[in-house]
Order: sequence, then structure tokens, then C-alpha cells
Amino acid sequence: MGGVPVGRRNLFSDRRRAVLGIAGVGVALLMVLMLAAIVNGAMRQVTRYIDTSPADVFVAQRGVTNMHMASSAVPLADLTRIRALPGVAWAEPILYLPDALATAGGRQVAYVVGYVPGQPGGPVSLVRGRAPGPGQVVIDQRVAGSLGLKVGDSVRLLARTWRISGLASGLTNLANTVAFVRFTDLAAARNLSGITSYILAGARGDPARLAHRITAATGLSALTRAQFSAQERALVQDMSAQLLQIMNLAGYLIGLAVIALTLYAATLSRLREAGVMKALGARPVRLANVVLSQALWTVGAALAAALGLTFALAVVLGRTAGNVPVVLDPGSVARVAAGAIVLAALGALAPLVRVWRVDPMTVFRR
Amino acid sequence: MGTQVPVAWRNILAERRRLAIAVLGAGLAVALILLLEGLWSGLLTQISAYPDHVRATFFVRQPGAKTLSEGVVPVSAAGRVRAVPGVAAAGPVLTRWVVLDLHGRKQVVTVVGFTPGSLGGPWALAAGRTVGADGEVVIDRTLAAEHAITLGGTLGVTGRSFRVVGLSSGTRSFMGTGYLFMSLHSAQAMFGAENTATFVLVRAAGPVAVRAAIAGRTGLSVASPDLVAAAEQNLYAGIMGKIFNLMVVIAFAAGTLIVALTVYSAISDRLGEYGIAKALGARRGRLFRIVAGQTTVLSGLALIAGLLLYLGGSRLITALWPQFQIELTFRALGVVTVAALLMGMLAALVPTRRVARLDPASVYRR
Repeated sequence: MGGVPVGRRNLFSDRRRAVLGIAGVGVALLMVLMLAAIVNGAMRQVTRYIDTSPADVFVAQRGVTNMHMASSAVPLADLTRIRALPGVAWAEPILYLPDALATAGGRQVAYVVGYVPGQPGGPVSLVRGRAPGPGQVVIDQRVAGSLGLKVGDSVRLLARTWRISGLASGLTNLANTVAFVRFTDLAAARNLSGITSYILAGARGDPARLAHRITAATGLSALTRAQFSAQERALVQDMSAQLLQIMNLAGYLIGLAVIALTLYAATLSRLREAGVMKALGARPVRLANVVLSQALWTVGAALAAALGLTFALAVVLGRTAGNVPVVLDPGSVARVAAGAIVLAALGALAPLVRVWRVDPMTVFRR
Repeated sequence: MGTQVPVAWRNILAERRRLAIAVLGAGLAVALILLLEGLWSGLLTQISAYPDHVRATFFVRQPGAKTLSEGVVPVSAAGRVRAVPGVAAAGPVLTRWVVLDLHGRKQVVTVVGFTPGSLGGPWALAAGRTVGADGEVVIDRTLAAEHAITLGGTLGVTGRSFRVVGLSSGTRSFMGTGYLFMSLHSAQAMFGAENTATFVLVRAAGPVAVRAAIAGRTGLSVASPDLVAAAEQNLYAGIMGKIFNLMVVIAFAAGTLIVALTVYSAISDRLGEYGIAKALGARRGRLFRIVAGQTTVLSGLALIAGLLLYLGGSRLITALWPQFQIELTFRALGVVTVAALLMGMLAALVPTRRVARLDPASVYRR
């Protein structure tokens, strides 16, 4: 008796029903996986500028610890003080302001980075063209594609017309893109003088110690690149956390209903066999194993289907909505797998009760 | 086999526990579609809350600016606007995103700097008073409650301390962000934006003539609040719309699979009866009507269950997370009704194939 995989055979005895059940649970898990993958993708994209920056330390206005949706104003006088501190290899200002790239064909929200030409803060690498000269802008190749722009074309930004001098990559996300202009151009366009948004600093030695030294000397907020990047990710996580909780709960509840339905239907159609097993002396544990193995087969297959669909959707979204990166990390998969096992256990409850209550005599009454 | 026998109804009611799980599962999918549609409607309403409620006739902005946070104008522009005949009031407003760190969580707010006593301040106060001087803020009441911020207490914003003098209502926005009102001088000092604003709000009589006169005198663009609201909604709809639509499609697929699984299981359990019906001369059309009748009954029950689950779920969500506004619109009701009907029709496909392929002679083999 022990070697016969009754649960698996029961589940797949009617393949169409098994496929419907697995697809139902798979679709519910797909919802949870997709949301996690979209948030992961957004987090990776939103920190791209920071993660690829040569800066060891990011300095901002006191109380400011990230860039996305933040406003920071630091007096340029602090730049001189920071450069004079021991352990500072270099320090450069950047202006960072929200605006939008606009053409006759469309608009894209953009953070404009104003940097000093030849110094850190600009695009790390260009896929085409060159760094911006006066009145010129470097934009991301993905947004260039969606707006139908190429090097040498004109684009509206900061209420002015700019010529595109080059294309960068990997800086367009779900919500916005990044554009680079000269520091002086951005300051003039926004009528700013004597301030910068952030100061980027290179460290001689330990970046954490330098960050601490800068804060102590200036009162400004100074974080290492890793800390700054983590703060940026925390913003995305905090903004999406509650919506994710609601969607995840809905996804798991739907999954629970489908798995309960699948197991219940499969159990009901094989109730006579359960009676035979009982009549032959099968203990409740053996019957429970049969139901639980069906549950595990269902969620296992459903998880595999959901993973496959997530990868397929990532490809489709990549082609149709290029700025929605979908990144599935092992942590998310592990969390969804754990959730699926809980679903399997809960979904098995009603069929278990039904099987345990089967009277072996029913076999002979039919 | 007369047509007066409600076979579909009897078949679906034969196993009531399975029916209950199915109605609950498909109802959850319907409720999720309603919830997504409701959240989306609420989101759009929240996004345009400022232009919708600020009681201005025009937004005077930098040419090319579309959304609320774009552009920069000199504060002096407000004086030139006031001099236009027909202008009753004009006030410069500076808006910027700021990320607050509250109890270890990042909270994005839109700082609105306005001239106390002029246009641009909070439109509905739940407690306290509006901003009367520098160093004072009015914060959304739900945001304040989430973070235990009380009237008369202090709030740190980018390293500066403000006294909370009022709690506003209806001032939450996109993805849980909220408005934070302060004086124009406070905002300018905080952002290092002396003598500049983002736009000038105007209240005027005889709007058509006044609009042309303002544009002519200042060289700035003049937009109605409706236009600003539409631009805000378009911007965020573009960002989040794809994700919401994807989730609606997934919820629809889950609901369809649940209905299909239930009816398929009900038919499989009574395959003998269908064989007899075929042997007695029931045509395909009659059998399809029986299957479609079951899926339609189930979809109808799921629609009712979904509405009830939605009513309970939406109340729970807004009680737990008051930053979410959920609005049930006629459009949303129409969408789910059509979705439920479609679910029923699509779900009939697999069970119909099963019945259509059934050999009447199989009845005698059982």
C-alpha cells in the first residue's frame, strides 16, 4: 500500500480537471509573483544612478537620505568645506530636479541631473554620442526610442529646447527617466545660484568614516553609496507595501479557494476508493497522506506554472511596455512557495474531513 | 427531458459544499476586480485633489509645464497678474516633493508653500487652523494619525522643525502620498528657491478675457484647473495603469478557471446522466444549454458574492489604511457584470467539450 502514489493518481485521473485546478492556483500565485517582480524591478531601476556612480559618499541637505521624490538644497559653500576634509579624494556638486522630456509625440517625466563636465556625476557610459555641451542633453536610449528621438534631435526640457548629444542606458523605470545636462545650464534654467542638490565625494579610505566626518563637520546628511541605495529602495518598498499587502492577500485567498475546490472535487470523485482503503484497514494518517500529496502536487505544479507565466509576461512586458522591468529574485519565489504550502495545508482541510468521515460500508451499498 | 426541468440548477446544487467554495472563490475574483477598479477611481480622484479643490480660476505657469510640480515662475509674476483687470486674487505657490522619515518609514509628501491669507492653502480643515505664519504646517489628518502627529506638536521636514497648527482632510494623493501646507517663505527657505514659485493661482471674473490678458502681460501659460487635473491624471494613469490592468486580467482569469473547474467537476460526477440524456436523443444544443446554464448560474452567484465581499473588503481596507480611497462607479459595476458574464461563457468551453465527446453507449458500460 505504501508504495502506491494514490494521491498523485487521484489528482491526475481526470487530467482536464487537474489542469483547470493547477491553472487556477497558478494564476492566483502569478498575481503575487508578478507584483513582487514588478516592485523588485522598480527598486533595481530606481537605484541604478546611485549604484553605478563612482561616488563613495552622497551628501544631501540635513534630513534628506535619498534622491527619488526628494528635494535637497545644499549651499555650494559646503563644497569647499568638504573638499578640505581629510580622507576626501574628490567632491563634485550635482543639481537634481524633476521635470519632463517633451516632444510633439509624447512626454516622459524626467529627473534632470546637472553635473560639471568632465567630473563625476554624469552618465557613467554612453551607448551613443558624447557628453552634453552647452544647451545639450544626454537622455536614456529607452525613452529616446519611445519618444522617437535620436542623437542630434531636439527635445523640450525645463521650458527650453535642447539638442541631444548622446544616449545613456538603464536609467528609465516605470515612473520616470534621467536626463543629463551641464550644471550651469540647469542652474540658469531654474534660476538657481549658490546651491547644489547633492555633493558626490570620493573617499581615501573607509567611506563610512568619511560620511561620518562630513556630517560632523557640516551638519549635512552624508551616506555611503550602499546606505544611500538602501534608502532609495526603502522608499519604493514603503510606498508600495500596503498596496502589495492588499493584492497579496487577495491573490492568496483566491488561490486558497481554487485549491480547496480542486482537492474537494478530486476527493469527492474518489470517495468510493477512500471507502475501500478504509475497509482494507488504511488508517486516517494514510488517508491524510493521500489528500496532502494531492495538495502538494497541485501547488507544486501551480508554482511551476506561475513561474513560467511570470517569465513569459516579463518578456511580453519588455516588448510592449519597455519601462516595466520585471525581476524575480529567489527571496520572492521562496516566500510565494512558502505561502503556497500554507495554501495547500489549508485547502486540504475540507477534503480531509470528508475522507475521514467516509463509512467503509458505503463501498458495499453501491 | 422536457425543457421545463431545471437541469442546470439541479446539477449545480447537487453538491452544496463544492458550490459554496466555488461561489466564494469566484466571488473573491469578482471582488478583486471591483476593488482594483474602485482603487483606480479613487486614485484618480486623489491625484487631482489639489487642482480640483483649490478654488482657483487659473494656474499661471512656465510655458510647457503640464503637471503640478513642473516649472518655475518668478514670485514677481503674481504682482503682474494682480494688475490685470478682472483678477480678484493671485497668489504664488511653490510645490515640491519631500521624503519624510517617520518612525523608520519613508513617507512622500508634496509640500505646498503658499502665502498665508492668499490662494493655495488647505481647502478643508478637520481640526485646528490654516497656516498663519512661517514655521507652521497643516498636515493631512490621516497621515497625522498614522504617525501619531498631533495638533500643536512638531514635525521635522528636511532638518527643519515645524509646528502643526491644523489637520486637513481629503488631502492624500497618489500611492499614499499627502499634502503638507506651509508658508511660501518657509518653503522657499527650505528648498533654496528664493523669489521663485512653481505657479501662480488666480481667481478671476470673466475668465476668457482675463486669460488672454494674463498670458499677454506675463508671457506665461494660463491653464484651467481641469486641464491641470487631467494632466496629473494622465501622468499617473500612464505609470500605474498597465499594472492595474494586468491585475484585472489575472483576477478575471482566476474567476473563469474557478467557474470552469466547478462546472466541469459537477458534470464529471454526473457523466452517466449526460450519457443517458444523449442516448434519449438530447441534441448538442440542449446539452450546451445545460452546461452554459450552470456556468451562468455560478457566475451570477459569484457576482452577488463578489459585490458583498467587495463591500466588506473595501470598508476594511479604508478602515485599516485610510490613505486609500475606493470609489465604486457605475463603470466599475458595468465592467464586473460584463466580466462575470464572460467568465460564465468562457468557463463553459471545457465542460461542453467533455459532454460533446461523450459516447452515449458508455452509459451501458458503467
